[in-house]
Amino acid sequence: MSSSVLQRIANGDSAAVRECIDEYGALIWSLARRLTRTPSDAEDATQEIFLDIWRSAARFDAAQGSVKVFIAMIARRRLIDRLRRSTNEPPMDPVDVLDTVAWSDPGTASEVSVEAEQASRALQHLRPEQRQVLELGLLHGLSQSEIAARLGLPLGTVKSFMRRGLIAVREYMNIDASGVSAGV
Amino acid sequence: MSESGSQSQPDDALVDLLVKQATEGLSPSEQRALDAMDSASATQALREFERAAAAIALAAAPVDGAVPAALRARIEKDAQGFFASRGAAAAPTGVPRGINPREAVGRPSPAAGAAARPGGAGLAWFAAAACLLLALFAWFRSPTPPAAQVAEVSAPSPVAPIVTAPSAPAAQAPLTPPTPAEERAAMLARPDTIKVVLGATKDPAAAGVTGDAVWDPVAQKGFLHFVGLAANDPSVRQYQIWIFDGARDKRYPVDGGVFDVPANATEAVIPVRADLPIRQAKGFAVTVEKPGGVVVSGLKHVLVLGTAG
Repeated sequence: MSSSVLQRIANGDSAAVRECIDEYGALIWSLARRLTRTPSDAEDATQEIFLDIWRSAARFDAAQGSVKVFIAMIARRRLIDRLRRSTNEPPMDPVDVLDTVAWSDPGTASEVSVEAEQASRALQHLRPEQRQVLELGLLHGLSQSEIAARLGLPLGTVKSFMRRGLIAVREYMNIDASGVSAGV
Repeated sequence: MSESGSQSQPDDALVDLLVKQATEGLSPSEQRALDAMDSASATQALREFERAAAAIALAAAPVDGAVPAALRARIEKDAQGFFASRGAAAAPTGVPRGINPREAVGRPSPAAGAAARPGGAGLAWFAAAACLLLALFAWFRSPTPPAAQVAEVSAPSPVAPIVTAPSAPAAQAPLTPPTPAEERAAMLARPDTIKVVLGATKDPAAAGVTGDAVWDPVAQKGFLHFVGLAANDPSVRQYQIWIFDGARDKRYPVDGGVFDVPANATEAVIPVRADLPIRQAKGFAVTVEKPGGVVVSGLKHVLVLGTAG
């Protein structure tokens, strides 16, 4: 069903709109709450993300990945944009709860997408401090500078960890790395 | 994965910018630097980094809690409005054919974006944009808008609607959705509608363009009307609408959607929708952007601009 939801939305199928909200609403809502400043911001962001999905539905290409990752990409773009507009306040999720972040078990996570499972496997090969940089940046919305300050690491080290981590995940996702591997 | 086979490898600085864009976004100066060094492989690489970041988020972020009912109702209402607007925009009656707002994603497709990169578009654009930004900032600070490029419109609008057929009687309205031109005409008749004349900038591409904007602050929708706006090739560039909200940071106008003008059109009525609630519609602008539009415009290539009183 998922593979056709976006195409049906692109065709103006109102039932598909409801299905999309049913299936991916909780995901988007969770991402929005994690990367926004206030509950009100999270609601505004969620509305914006769904509008982005309606507009982008026709551009989904199943050959490029799953619906879930496509939607997560759209959500993250919008949330990053919002974060950049207001950088003076921390996101709702205090970073102190970092320990509660539980990476899904790639062996048992039946509900996650293939890409998420690949990401989990890649992350298990990273050093703990590398994973921590990714967590702070991707899950808590901290900038590289903020991560450096929080962890007491040089900014260059944070950049390197972020870069290596993303490239490792990308390679596990079988993405052709011929374009951007220089200097890594 | 081997790195030895790369034919065209972006340098470290470019990779750093791509990673940062995929994880936290870029500052305006970083975005300019990326634009200057962008390459064909970079847009694909950015998409791959974004995909990896999204997969990590999926792997880690717990999905807890359904969308609140009230929020869900708003999302469904947004969807109804979006698809109604899209359907109305595609309706041929009373509207030049082919002038349909395009669905803008937050960012354009990588391939299309690469094709539209301005590259060395020239200092003239940059200088013009800088002047325009200064004018915009001055306008927001000033109690009265500058007169050179923008002008307030007193009702009724001097721009005649392009609809030649009378609006359908109310009893017949459900049979055929109103066209954008018909909706605009109805909006013009309402007393609380905000009306703005759009003035052409000094951009050569804006020469001879006239237009206006109408905005219904209650319905949170509006229309732009243009005469003389040049046709665009959607695979190369698109027009994008921006709404300046007096209640928001003036540096970040709200995206009003992207649209195209076909070669045979002389007039256009473009529905405007806003991603965010517009509390004080202070002005409208149209920029030329890469296909799909942009999330945050650098306002480098503004064609028309207008302010409300």
